[in-house]
Amino acid sequence: MELKEILKKVVLLGDGGVGKTSLIARYVVNKFDDKYIATIGTKVSKKDIQVVRPDLIINLKLMIWDILGQKEYSKIRTSSMSGAQGLILVGDLSRPETVRSLEDFWLKEVKLSVGNIPTVIVGNKVDLLKKESMEAATLEAMGERLGYPTLLCSAKTGRNVEEIFSTLGEMLLEGVVSTAKTRKEKAPQTLAEVVDFIVQDFCAQYGDLEKAMLIVQHQFEEAGVDIRKPSKDAVLRALDGLAKAEELTLTKSVARVNLEERQRMVILSKG
Amino acid sequence: MEQDIKIETLIVMSVAIFAVLATVAFLVPFEDSNTKLFFIALVTVLTAINVVGLFMVWQSSPTIVDEVFLMTPTGMLLKHYTRRLRPDQDTDIMAGMLTAVQNFVRDSFDEAGGRLNEIRFENYDILISHTKNVVLAAIISTKKPEKLRVELKNANDDIEKAFGERLSHWSGDKSELGDVDVLMKKLLSGKYRK
Repeated sequence: MELKEILKKVVLLGDGGVGKTSLIARYVVNKFDDKYIATIGTKVSKKDIQVVRPDLIINLKLMIWDILGQKEYSKIRTSSMSGAQGLILVGDLSRPETVRSLEDFWLKEVKLSVGNIPTVIVGNKVDLLKKESMEAATLEAMGERLGYPTLLCSAKTGRNVEEIFSTLGEMLLEGVVSTAKTRKEKAPQTLAEVVDFIVQDFCAQYGDLEKAMLIVQHQFEEAGVDIRKPSKDAVLRALDGLAKAEELTLTKSVARVNLEERQRMVILSKG
Repeated sequence: MEQDIKIETLIVMSVAIFAVLATVAFLVPFEDSNTKLFFIALVTVLTAINVVGLFMVWQSSPTIVDEVFLMTPTGMLLKHYTRRLRPDQDTDIMAGMLTAVQNFVRDSFDEAGGRLNEIRFENYDILISHTKNVVLAAIISTKKPEKLRVELKNANDDIEKAFGERLSHWSGDKSELGDVDVLMKKLLSGKYRK
């Protein structure tokens, strides 16, 4: 199991008051007060995302530069944008002019400073949106036209906020993931090889090899897996048990991703 | 452990020794003026030796580096070295904010694109050395930044030479960095000292 640590600089842009800072406040590592945005024009936060692939675990660190939304401060904004590898553009769905300025102003400025970079367009304050409002449709049409994913979210309710980071994270890792996909072609083929791979993968992610092996042994016994001649049904049953163990040590989402990936490998394996 | 001596301490010590000896020279009833002159000369010589000696000790004592941040000019932390445990500190964010502060100062005060080379705060000095693709920031608490400045620059030049090209199109994958530790250890162990 290969471990990769990848660092990416992401800038968060949009008009003043659209909710950029609120959007990230609950979901990132914040070490500095928000007042820094007003005093020095920027505040840096961090979002860690773990991406698990069959033979690769990626610790993606998104360094999020929350930049002052007042359009006049172009100099400090250009400095802060330097070297950005990802962009989150935020508009306020309850203020149409902030949605329009995403394309008319912010995107143009980013393109001038750092060129084309992976971008997610976000419509914030969806909780305030009236049913007849056209802003959501306008934003989605803009995203489609520009070829960027669009998310409607609410910093207040938390709706879709995590998805902003995971969507951008996936876009930023495209190169790395494609490497992983290439490796996938060389992945184990027979069921015995798949089982062997799953055991190794589980132990590597669990951390404590001795404990991990005991859990594997227990789950295999419970599910009736004959290690010399395993059957797909028995292995699939054992995978549920391993996922439950992983829920306790890793996170629920990681355990779920692992389970789905392992199930896929077992189903596709020969034997 | 290497001892750090502050210049203020040296001055106080020298003045104290001189005062004691001078008091003795004037208070003790010497039998003749030659003996008194001899004693005053002795006091002067001893004080001079004391001042020069202690100044040499201060000069030769190293600048103790508390922390070093190896970063890209865009604020991405490549490596962090510390001799203090600060569990509340997120070094990635620190590196970013340090860069943000530099950007702010540069954009606010210098039209010609200069660089912030030093930040002083109470007992701390942050020395910053820049090359095209590498920024080295060292935090010291020993009030002798001038001694470290050249070392930092030399180390940074070497890192730029060895890794600059790679860093100019770095994807963010830390495994692509190579063994920068060799040069950093050289800096931290004082091998860049003249």
